[in-house]
Order: sequence, then structure tokens, then C-alpha cells
Amino acid sequence: MKRRDLIRAGVLGGAVAALRPSVATAGQNAALSSELTPAQSGVDASKDLDAPGWKPLFLDAHQNETLIVLSDLIIPATDTPGAKEALVNRYIDLVLAAETRETQSAFLNSLGYVDGESIRRYKNAFLYLAREDQDDLLHSMAYPHNPSRWTGEAAAPDPGHTHFDALKRRIMTAYYSSQIGQKELGWDGAFAHGPYLGCEHPEGDHK
Amino acid sequence: MGQDPLLQTYDAVVVGSGATGGWAAKQLSEAGLKVALLEAGRAVTPREFTEHLPAYKLKYRDHSPEVLRTRPIQKQCYACMEYNYEWFVNDLENPYSTPTGKPFTWQRLRVLGGRSLVWGRQSYRMSDNDFKAASRDGYGDDWPISYADLAPYYDIVEKYVGISGAAENNEMLPDGRFLQPMKMSCGEVLLRERVKAKFGHTVTIGRVAIVTENHNGRLTCHYCGPCERGCMTFSYFSSPFTTVKDAVASGNCTVITNAVVSHVNMDDGSNKARGVTYVDRLTRQVKEVRAKSVILCAQAMESTRILLNSSTREYPNGLANSSGALGHYLMDHVTGGGATGRLRDFKTLPNANEPHRPNGVYVPRFRNTPSSPRHSRFIRGYGYQGGSSAQFDFNAEGYGTTLKHAVKDGAYGISLGAFGESLARWDNYVSIDPNLKDAWGIPSLHINMTHGDNEAALMEDAGSSAAEFLEAAGAKDIHVQFNVESPGMAIHELGTARMGNDSKKSVLNSFNQAHDVKNLFVMDGASFVSSACQNPTLSMMAITVRACTNLIDRFRKNEV
Repeated sequence: MKRRDLIRAGVLGGAVAALRPSVATAGQNAALSSELTPAQSGVDASKDLDAPGWKPLFLDAHQNETLIVLSDLIIPATDTPGAKEALVNRYIDLVLAAETRETQSAFLNSLGYVDGESIRRYKNAFLYLAREDQDDLLHSMAYPHNPSRWTGEAAAPDPGHTHFDALKRRIMTAYYSSQIGQKELGWDGAFAHGPYLGCEHPEGDHK
Repeated sequence: MGQDPLLQTYDAVVVGSGATGGWAAKQLSEAGLKVALLEAGRAVTPREFTEHLPAYKLKYRDHSPEVLRTRPIQKQCYACMEYNYEWFVNDLENPYSTPTGKPFTWQRLRVLGGRSLVWGRQSYRMSDNDFKAASRDGYGDDWPISYADLAPYYDIVEKYVGISGAAENNEMLPDGRFLQPMKMSCGEVLLRERVKAKFGHTVTIGRVAIVTENHNGRLTCHYCGPCERGCMTFSYFSSPFTTVKDAVASGNCTVITNAVVSHVNMDDGSNKARGVTYVDRLTRQVKEVRAKSVILCAQAMESTRILLNSSTREYPNGLANSSGALGHYLMDHVTGGGATGRLRDFKTLPNANEPHRPNGVYVPRFRNTPSSPRHSRFIRGYGYQGGSSAQFDFNAEGYGTTLKHAVKDGAYGISLGAFGESLARWDNYVSIDPNLKDAWGIPSLHINMTHGDNEAALMEDAGSSAAEFLEAAGAKDIHVQFNVESPGMAIHELGTARMGNDSKKSVLNSFNQAHDVKNLFVMDGASFVSSACQNPTLSMMAITVRACTNLIDRFRKNEV
């Protein structure tokens, strides 16, 4: 929301006020419990995405399958689990369902761009490409383009990299914020590792 | 006190329970005065602290798009999170307006303790280079107090709050009574050594209101990191668990929560405040609290809003505003200048199990000091906050196994960001918006503020100097910033009811007493004459304690 809209929303504050007495009469206790965030009330949402009958809230079946494949290429299973096992698609779907229309469309545009390029090059949706073709396509998008070596002329606008980066960013956020992602970073599950010892090297020997 | 809290007349009613209101309640009630402490929000308990909750237990893992719906302004601050957003005001219920093209970001909490629950905790003294800056460079007005006036109160506050830090004997940043300083990282020690060697400037560990040894019943910091979500060991200073707790323990302080104060009431026929009127936040009932003195500690702009909403026939332009200065000289530190880089030679890998130090380094102001030449492009100066550590590299390029490894290989980052002085200007002001009310029917503020040419010049210099400092430390991949962020982003709002010796040019005297109404006080950041560039909360608290000491004395002499 832009600040101008906020000011307008502010004008609507009076309308909010008019609605409030019904909340107030519900009594102080009810009001107080609604004034804690779920986290502050002790809600644990970490298993919400694990349900066996899970269905996407926002993505359609093709988009969801494409996202699973794409996310697992970007963060594959190695000696540690990858994006698919971390249910990255389900988390992204949950967040998108709560996002604004603009953000939702931006995401679908990026995902659609990958499919569009895939169809242009290989006459098939990304999901159904051979692994080598998926890799070739992603490599064309994963890195920024250089200008011409000979003329210095700037490269053509590079929407592929922009879309790739947007998708990658969401996938990385989803993966590294998951319990699997936290383990991947080596977190041992403890909150306090103090005290902070800091630098103990002599001058000139910092590393 | 068994009787109905609204049927008695208190010695003092304190409006606001944050850093300054907590101190006022503590000082006055411990001196034996009967105090009512009013807070617009609810009480807070340690049960709602979430500092040890991993993000994956949250529905959106702290990336909630839902928070933005009710808190689009509050969310601009990192501290407003999916964990704790209910501590912050609902922006739809608490509107304010700004002129087109002059945005102002106003961060507010309405809960016992206010912003002291989520503050940045950086705590620095001001010096006479700040209090008497006008005499030195000709801009604005001197404060009616000097460092010597405030020093004993800095001592009292620091001793009680517990400020960890290192003495540096710096002319711009007086030393205080410090607990053990937190340690610096290798990158920070290197920066300190190189900046001293090349430029002669000081890089010190942040002075921070977090205890590094057990202190006044609070336990030493265990370095979990996210203080803004609460602290089960009460290691960082927040008023509900320190000053307000002491005030209540004195037996002389009645805390009234959910009291949204609308205005100060005056006694008919005498030029004295009689107390305040508030709207019960939950029931919307209008109630009055009577007191022999009224002390506003509601946050600079909120305190001024209350006074502007308290006009009478004698004071048609806001209570205690015969000077016309009420609402004017609004300040907020300018931010947006700085630099980031990488120390490529450092091979230390990031470690998820390292202690998280909730603090960084600080570079005291080095421009326009008594021992440096006057800068040709700007007056006053800025300080840097920054830090350096090995971090996971979430910006690593590529994808696949390579990306997964690159994230863990990390990067040793280093950064400095400036907080610059915001000059006190008449044309930066708040007034009442005649067409806007909050959810309790109380007229809202119109906030009119811009940063000026001096602030922009400060940030330009801050970007260049930060790059030079990082270069001196051997940093590569340096990126600079010369932004002038919107006013409000520093969350250091000051002024609008400034103190001064001349009652025609200021609202308060040097003891935070209104020139016009002798039993009315504003003891928060509203009283500041200039902003300096140091984080202001420590000075605000010292000013409150000084003002309370004077008020207690006047009560003893029967002058109130």
C-alpha cells in the first residue's frame, strides 16, 4: 500500500472506530487473547504443511508440479535433503495465497516465463523436459548477461535472469527458513551459545 | 490503595509507560508521592516473549503478508515481526496525515513499556558539543542545560539500567559507568585498528542497555539475539520489568492500562492542570484522573498531540503554547548514508551455532569537532553504527549443488551506516488534522517534516567516509549509499515542546516544566532543543530523572 493510500485508510479510521464497540463488549479477556500474535500465544505451525491430504491454496496442479521440480533443481538433495523434501512448494503456495494480487501475478509471470521459454526452445513445458534440457534452460537464466566483447554494446534486456532471480529468492527463503533448511545451515537447535568471545588474535593476525 | 483509582487525587499522573514514563513513575513513587501511571495499551507478561521460537514454527516463518494489512507503516521497521506485531499499533486505528510528497514513518507501540520493549538499546551520552552547539556554529539555540547539569543523572540512569560499553575518552562522546563491554569480531578489531591508524578516529563497541553481568536482579545476556521479541532473562532494559515494577513495588503507584489519554484538564479559574481525560481503549468509556501535577511521557509527538488537543480559552492554540513553539522543531536523525563490503581474506566460515551478539560497533562523530576543521559543506555531524562478521551467503549466484555450498561458504561482511543530526527547524512541525480522528475519536496529527540540505550533505559525506573506512580495513566489493531516508525511519523523534530559558521561544523550562502552567510537565523527547546524532533514549531518561528530582524537591517545599 502506498503512503497516499494509507492516509486515505487513515480517514477510514473513523469507520473502524464505529465498528469497534462490538469488539469491546465481547469483554476484556476475549479482547486480550486476540491481542497476542499466534506466536505469542504459543501456536506451533511447524507441522501445518505436512498433512497427507495437502492441496494447494493458490497454485494450480501444473504450477505446483513445476514449482516442485524447479525448486528441487535450485536446491537439490545432496548429502542433505533438498527443496522438495522441505516442502518448499507448499510454503510458497501458503504465502502466495495471502499476498496481494500484484505479488501473486508477478510470481505466476515468472513461473510462466520459464514454461514459455521451455516451449519456445523445446516445444514442451519445463516439467516434462529431460534433465539436461532443464539444466541448459536454467543456465541461460541463472547468470547476468555481459555486454558485447567487441562493441561494448549492452546486452539485450534480460527478463530471464530477472524472473529466475525472483523465483530463486522465494525458493531460498522457503528452504532456509524450514526446519530442514536450518539443519542444513548446521543449527543444533539450541538458542543460546553465549558468551560471545570475539576476536582473540594479536594485531595484524585477524582472520 | 484500595479505593477506586479514579476517585482520588494523585500527586502526579504520568502519561506513558515507556523509557521515560517508567522512570518518572519510579522516581516519584519511590519518593513517596502518589502516582497514577497511564498506559494506552494493555499489560505485557513474559509469557508472550518469543525470542527462542524458531521461525519455522510460525505460519509464515516471519514473512507474513498478513501483518502488512493492519500495520503497513509499522512493518517498515525490522522490529515489527510476525512474532510480535500485536505490540505495535494498528495503523488503521491510529491514523495520521502527511502533506503530499512529505512522507513520515511513525513507529509506535501501545502496550505497557511502549517502545522500550523493542528499542535498539544503543545508549550514548551527549556532550557540551551538543548542548552548546549553537554557540559554537551559530545555528539554532543552545540548550538551557549543560553537560555538567545532566552528568549526575546519566550516572544514576546508567547505574540502574546497566550499560555495557568501553571507555574511550572521546571528546564528542563522554564515557559513562559501564558494565563489561561486549567483544568485537575480528573484522571489527581490524576496522578499529586501521581507522585509528589512518584517520585517527575511534571505532568502539556499541554502548548498549544489555547487562553483561547479573545486575539488579536481571541475568547476564545469553546472546540468543532477537531482543525485540522479548527477553526471558530481562537482560536488555525495558521499563515494565524494571522501573515500572519498582514503582508498583513502592506501594505508591497505580498502573491504569488501556487508558488512551485525549487531553489535559485545567482547573476552572486557576492556571493549573487538574488531571487528564482518557478513553478506555476497550469499553470506549470516557474517564478522568485527577492529580496535583500532570507529567506527559507519551512519546514526543504524542505528548504534543495531547497538549494541542487540550486548548482552552486562555490557550486557544494548544495548552501551554503562549510561545507558539508547541509542535515546532520536530527532529528525527537522518539515516541512509553508509557502505558495505567484504573482507575476502577472512576465511572464517559462518556458524549457525555462534552466539548472536545483539550489538555492533559505533564510530563517534568525527566531523566539526573541537579538534577538527569546520567542514565546508555542512554543520554538525553523524555517527556510524556497523559491524563485521561471517555470514551465510544468501546472495550467492547460480543454482544447484554449487549454490548450496556457496551459501555455507558464506562471506565475511563489513558495514557502516550513519545516524546524522537533524537540525531543529521551525518549518518541521506537527499540528492537529481537523479532518482526522483515531479509533477513539481523538483528533490525529498532521506531520510535516522534511530533511534539508544539511542532512543530505551529511549523508553524502557519510557514504564517502564509510567507503574510505572500509577500504582502510581492506574490504573489497564495496557498495556505497547516499540516501536520505524518510523522516521517522530513525525512530528518534525529538522536539515539538522544546525547553529553553526564554518563555517566548520555548514551551518548557530547563526542568521540563511548562512555562505557562506550573504543574504541567513534558518529560520525554519532546523537550529536546537539538537532536545531536547520538541515539537519544539514554539522554531522555537522564532528563526525566533530573526533572523528577526537581519536582520532588518542589513537592517537599510545598510549591506544587
